Amino acid sequence: MPDMAEPRKSSSTYGRDDDPLTYFFKTLIDHEVTVELKNDIQIRGTLKSVDQYLNIKLDDIQVVEELKYPHLSSVKNVFIRGSVVRYVHLPAAAVDVPLLEDATRREAANQAGKGK
Amino acid sequence: MADAEEGPTGSVSEPLDLVRLLLDEVVFVKLRGDRELKGRLYAYDSHMNLVLGDVVETIYLIDEDDEDEDIKTTTKKVGNVICPR
Amino acid sequence: MENGTQAEGKDPSSFLSEIIGNAVTVKLNSGVVYKGELQSVDGYMNIALEKTEEYVNGVKRRAYGDAFVRGNNVMYISAD
Repeated sequence: MPDMAEPRKSSSTYGRDDDPLTYFFKTLIDHEVTVELKNDIQIRGTLKSVDQYLNIKLDDIQVVEELKYPHLSSVKNVFIRGSVVRYVHLPAAAVDVPLLEDATRREAANQAGKGK
Repeated sequence: MADAEEGPTGSVSEPLDLVRLLLDEVVFVKLRGDRELKGRLYAYDSHMNLVLGDVVETIYLIDEDDEDEDIKTTTKKVGNVICPR
Repeated sequence: MENGTQAEGKDPSSFLSEIIGNAVTVKLNSGVVYKGELQSVDGYMNIALEKTEEYVNGVKRRAYGDAFVRGNNVMYISAD
């Protein structure tokens, strides 16, 4: 059986093999984030793991507007497929803006011409 | 504002170069599902995943009674990632 | 064979590179239309436009200095 607990085996810690966005997400591990799904459900929890597809594992979850979406009230942790995510709301304090912008510029230089 | 010609590494030869020049600027993003975002662009990748700060989201809802009028709802959020498609 | 226009019918991507700098119309799958000056296109049909006007149901909605259109939304690009 594949280990569903870890989306991508080789990258359970920060790895330089990651693309910058995945790497950035991994710096947010153990922070509280709110994941807004394309079906409008919002789930708040502690970010435990992320992979290249932006699949997300959350612990100690809590559904925003629980009265509207009661079906998840007994669930403690979730694995969310990246493709169903609309937004991830981040704690502003955990975002190092200059670092993010520099990493993005570096990746842009790397990627230049790939879409040709 | 952003000048188009900046030499080899800073030139605008492909569409994503335009986005690179918008880093740290306030951008307007139109999404599927009648949603729009305004926020400062912190990061993007080739899939157009975006990290935005100080985001204002606008969702357009059609009023059933009056088809011509769009109702605007605005919600404010801080620090945000978008996934495309 | 000969279509007589500046974009001699070779292949689609040479058509695109030949119309760079021209006024173009870009229609999206949603039906929204963008008219502007074609700055660049890539292999995903991502598009950069200058002096862009946005039309919804044929009515002009907005204008943008520069606009990036993600390729997956594009139905067609036409040289005006």
